[in-house]
Amino acid sequence: MYPQVLFQHRKPDRINTFAEYREQGGYSALSDVIAGADPAAVIATIDDAQLLGRGGAGFPAGRKLMTVAQDAPHPRYLICNADEMEPGTFKDRVLLHADPHLLIEGMAIVAYTVRARHGIIFIRPEYENAARILEREIRLAREAGFLGEKIHDSDFSFEIVVHRSGGRYICGEVTALISALEGCRPNPRKAPPYPTDKGLWQQPTVLNNVETLAYVPLIVRHGAQWFRDLALTESAAGTKLFSISGHVNKPGCYEVPLGVPLSEMIENCCGGMRDGRPFKGCLPGGASTGFLSAEHYHIPMDYESLKAVGNRLGTGAVMVFDDTTCMVAATLNLTNFFARESCGWCTPCREGFPYLKDLLYRLENGMADGDWIGQVETLCGHLYKAYCAFAPGGVAPIESLLANFGEEVQAHIDLGGCPMQRQ
Amino acid sequence: MPTLTIDNRPVTVPDGTKVITAAEQLGIMIPRFCYHPALGSVGACRVCAVGFKEGPIKGVEMSCMVDAQEGMVVATDDPDAVDLRKHVIELLMLHHPHDCPVCDEGGHCLLQDMTISGGHGRRRYAGAKRTHLDQDLGPLVQHEMNRCIQCYRCSRFYQQFCGYRDLGVTGIGTRVYFGRSEPGTLESPFSGNLTDICPTGVYTDKPSRFYGRRWDYERAPSVCIHCSLGCSLTVSARYRKAVRHEARFNAQVNGHFICDRGRYAYAYASQPERPRDALIAGRPATLAQAATQMSERLAAIEKGTGPDGIALMGSARSSLETQALLARLHSEKGWRTPCFSADDAATRVVSSALNTLNATNTIALTEIEGADTVLLVGADPIGEAPMLALALRQAQRDGSRIITVDPRPVTLPCAHDHIAVSGDDLATAVAHLIIGALEPSREIALDADQQDRFKTLKQETRDIPAAAELRAIGHALTTAWRPAFVCGTTVPDPDVPPLMGLLQALVQTSCMWSGLFFPLPGANTFGAHCLGGSDALFEPLLAAVEAGQVKALVVVENDLFSEYPDQQRLAAALESLELLVVMDCVPSAITARADIFLPTQTIYEAGGHYLNNEGRLQVATPVIAGGLSIMDTGGGNHPPREFREDIPGGTPRPAWQYVAGLATGETDPPDVKPLLDEALTAGVADGERVSLPSASREWPSIERIGAGPEGDAGGLTLIESAATFGSEPLAAFSTVLAELTPLFGVTVHSETAQRLGWRAGDRIVIPDSAPALEVVVTLDDRAAPGVLLVPRRIGIDRTALRRYMAHLLAE
Amino acid sequence: MLRPRGAFFERTIEPLELHVSEALIEKLKNEIAAVEHPRELAVDVMMALQDHHGYLSDAARDQAAELLGMSALEVDELATFYTFIFREPVGRYVIHVCDSLICWMAGEENIVDHLRQQLQIDFGQTTADGLFTLLPVCCIGYCDRAPAILVNRRVHGPLTNSRLDELLQKYRAEAAEKPGSNV
Repeated sequence: MYPQVLFQHRKPDRINTFAEYREQGGYSALSDVIAGADPAAVIATIDDAQLLGRGGAGFPAGRKLMTVAQDAPHPRYLICNADEMEPGTFKDRVLLHADPHLLIEGMAIVAYTVRARHGIIFIRPEYENAARILEREIRLAREAGFLGEKIHDSDFSFEIVVHRSGGRYICGEVTALISALEGCRPNPRKAPPYPTDKGLWQQPTVLNNVETLAYVPLIVRHGAQWFRDLALTESAAGTKLFSISGHVNKPGCYEVPLGVPLSEMIENCCGGMRDGRPFKGCLPGGASTGFLSAEHYHIPMDYESLKAVGNRLGTGAVMVFDDTTCMVAATLNLTNFFARESCGWCTPCREGFPYLKDLLYRLENGMADGDWIGQVETLCGHLYKAYCAFAPGGVAPIESLLANFGEEVQAHIDLGGCPMQRQ
Repeated sequence: MPTLTIDNRPVTVPDGTKVITAAEQLGIMIPRFCYHPALGSVGACRVCAVGFKEGPIKGVEMSCMVDAQEGMVVATDDPDAVDLRKHVIELLMLHHPHDCPVCDEGGHCLLQDMTISGGHGRRRYAGAKRTHLDQDLGPLVQHEMNRCIQCYRCSRFYQQFCGYRDLGVTGIGTRVYFGRSEPGTLESPFSGNLTDICPTGVYTDKPSRFYGRRWDYERAPSVCIHCSLGCSLTVSARYRKAVRHEARFNAQVNGHFICDRGRYAYAYASQPERPRDALIAGRPATLAQAATQMSERLAAIEKGTGPDGIALMGSARSSLETQALLARLHSEKGWRTPCFSADDAATRVVSSALNTLNATNTIALTEIEGADTVLLVGADPIGEAPMLALALRQAQRDGSRIITVDPRPVTLPCAHDHIAVSGDDLATAVAHLIIGALEPSREIALDADQQDRFKTLKQETRDIPAAAELRAIGHALTTAWRPAFVCGTTVPDPDVPPLMGLLQALVQTSCMWSGLFFPLPGANTFGAHCLGGSDALFEPLLAAVEAGQVKALVVVENDLFSEYPDQQRLAAALESLELLVVMDCVPSAITARADIFLPTQTIYEAGGHYLNNEGRLQVATPVIAGGLSIMDTGGGNHPPREFREDIPGGTPRPAWQYVAGLATGETDPPDVKPLLDEALTAGVADGERVSLPSASREWPSIERIGAGPEGDAGGLTLIESAATFGSEPLAAFSTVLAELTPLFGVTVHSETAQRLGWRAGDRIVIPDSAPALEVVVTLDDRAAPGVLLVPRRIGIDRTALRRYMAHLLAE
Repeated sequence: MLRPRGAFFERTIEPLELHVSEALIEKLKNEIAAVEHPRELAVDVMMALQDHHGYLSDAARDQAAELLGMSALEVDELATFYTFIFREPVGRYVIHVCDSLICWMAGEENIVDHLRQQLQIDFGQTTADGLFTLLPVCCIGYCDRAPAILVNRRVHGPLTNSRLDELLQKYRAEAAEKPGSNV
């Protein structure tokens, strides 16, 4: 239906094996690059492809590589962030179970461009299967000479280890992840220095999402133009893995060109809304993006279009709600998540989310009093002054609840509780 | 040097200064909880928000996280920032127990201040409060975790600043918990600072719990007299009782902190056993009676023997006033030169150390934090001068290399290289350092005379096991930019400090900055050296007593028995005196023997001047008038209603007053500055260093370097050295510190233990000791082989211990 | 729902000795020796000892501290941060019920009610036979299989009450078959 790039060789019940990957042309990009490509040229290609970081922030991948200074000290590190903990997101897991060598090859190429010697895949403990797959496939790649000392007799050496997290959402934050790897409490740190300058063990460190890295071999193989052309909209480039869940008939992870309208994704990929009920809204990119409402049903799903309506594409985790969903209760659930996962470092986040959770709980259960909306608005505003991006992400659902579902909130206040429970 | 505008006033600050610090320079205190000047910025509490109006940053940001930049315009009263601060305080108060009425922090609580000033009064949050269990953290610090506002100051201070690893942060989110893995006594000897840095009442001062509010206390700036560093203190007292020491900021000496010995040492001043009445032959008398009798009997003795028949004994814990008047008594009456210590070995080292210091080579404690290499010879900071260890930690955190050369297994709360060298070899070790600095170096040019002397030094310097390592370090010193040289004055012999001085003088020519730092045995050892007969030794005095030449001895604030090792000889000599006058504020073995006893005031009542180890003149202000506390006289009940004219227990007078009475009859406190001027060369102001002689580059005598240790090379030596707790004569009276004082033990290298047939954990009962003394054996291979290391401990039978050790040495 | 915290100070019975196989300790020592910074293996070492032991007991924590050159407190600072490290005893099977948005929408509350009923325990508790511990967990990344749970970090979903009963039956049978063996 849509051109499949990362999922081209996805199989229903097993991974795309190393042998199959090789037959499909896998590792040719790495071989070509190692044969003497100018690292700067490879970075330029990635930059030209307009590949944006797929972990949620959407930072241009090429630009990030350029920030590693030519004369930066060694050793340098490349970290793959497989700590996919954004609620609703499971694309990296599906990708790792589909075609792990895309990631391994992608890491090797990116490591080559910045002369990183060590690669680390930081993975959440719930993905133990994926971790074992990776360890096995890394070994196969090493045995075939694509990893290890002096790859293909070049002067490029690169090793990958899999590091299992102890399990916390905040570990996905770049600086917290680095702290976690160093065996410290994973509290975020403030840049500067940026990780590309002083990251893991105070050495230059590049950190990318699984999906971002997996695109790299394909971009190197097929060129920047090919990648850009994959997207449907002018401003976007490439395809994107969307984790679609909630009230749809076939939840799952789908590869879709950027710019495909939301409605088309739900209808074409997921077989439409569950029980044919009306679309009430969705979160377009995980728990730290805002709610879209029914009026956005046909919005093109790409970075710019969502930005235009004050939202974000995030991780591309589309959580779909039909008209039976109480948006206040859904927001309460999300806020509970942020309250539980706050690392406890700064005041607004540590205390603000439990406070907001309490307020939402009261609204849902008919105990809201005083200037409820004003109080929530003020509190959300102050959470933007938290230490890291966790809190601004966490208030996005609450703020969009007020903005897009204000009537439902007011109904809760007026009725003294959830109108849906009363029906 | 950017110039920025804060609240309409311009300020220029060095590059890298945070806006919160820049504001302080204008006297604007931006609210803060997590930020602390010593601990730096971490941006956790979010209460220091200010508005950035113009310049590179716009909007509300945290003033502790933003570097001051050119052209910035900052408004601390920006409405958005004020609103954020107000809400942050509301958030911090969500779970706070509001137990201010029973909280010891109430009245000097930063959280209280911020809550009031931020305008937070009504708790809107209707959810449940999270609660925590408290931990018993030992006798010094009280833990009340529910009050916590999660500023992370405690864990940052404890782990990063101090280098101890048993207190930190556990849990996540609202459940973050600051404490230990398990309840138990805190391991850091700097733990009391938690009570100062905690912005609310999570950590409060345990011994002074429930004594009163900050505003109830009589408070005065003072000086710590429990080691030679002279850290600045604020003393709090209530009902005539000193109940709390807090650190007082001093940029040159202690920075923001003090050690636990200094913080909890005050109990001696109000202990029930404190002698408060004059005694004649052990029987109570009025002060006037005792003073009159003292003058008359001294006059009578003087008539019989001449002025030589009267000797004076001072101490290193007396104020300069007392020391100076003892010196004046000598000069006016012709009585024997006052002696200030019964430990002649230490007096000799101190003398040679202080003669090595000059106006250009002396450095202050905080300057050590800026050193890039610190060499310590014969110095054990944690035991002798704890705050020095904290300064070393800061240097090391900044990348400094720390090297200890010592017979003891020196431990520091930071990474350091340790070279075990036996006590007799320390001078030789420094000689090797000098050789290492000079030999392969082109950096240091020597003139012809120095060349000759260097040649002799090389020829005379004996080989020792660590020679090669020491020479390598010596060489490395020539490439350091800011080396500091620390030399102890109790373990090394008198040759070591001048050799350290020489090493410093040589290295000085190849670096940007360098200096000497000599911890001394007592709080006012420097003063004794300046004002007294610095060369007056105790042995000749004792011999003169034994020979009957000295008939009367006036001992001022010195328990000779804790300083002089042979207690029987000392006791016999004192017995032979016609008159023993003792003046002191604490009971001791010697106060019990006095023919005439005069009770003296403590530093809290008398105040006084002190010279710290670098010669810095510091003042302690009196904080209470003296007398028994009504908490004691009331017997825990209503204060007594017995009406009398005097204050119960208020008899003691400053020691200097008694001495002055003997000399001139003065009743006003002497001005110490002219006295110091007499002894030294030029005037000195409070807080400044006394003028030391100008720099000299004299090569010290090196006659003994090649001599080798006395006795055979495989012999054993006993080293008694200061420990953090239990060694300092006044702090030893503190019952809370006694709880922290480890079992008395001997530390030896495992080889030495094998020779002696000792195993770790063995308990040796010292024969004929009274009180009975048991010694626990600890093995530590970082000690120099052959060294038997015991802590100096007040109140133990040192004679029996020494006798037993001597017997071991003889075998 | 949440039990009062600070709870890891409430000591339950500790095993007097730590029976960890020599082979495991040797393996951990080798792994630690092979890396530049021992601390980077902190989570791995804690997990390994926990898997061996069922939970990270005080003795296991002290062992981890010794292996890693950390203080006991420093290990606790990490152990108490992470979701999957238990500082209190847990059952042989730790059931983590995902209570984040998608699983909640798919009926997580029913799952929890059913488990509570079947196991007669609440969140944070362990069944009397020591087999099951019930805990909530944040989104586990299996939203396509909602409602989902983890049992000893292995995912199961989408779940119905009958599927849950089968699962519990399976684990009970396994425990009966291989008593004492862990995980």
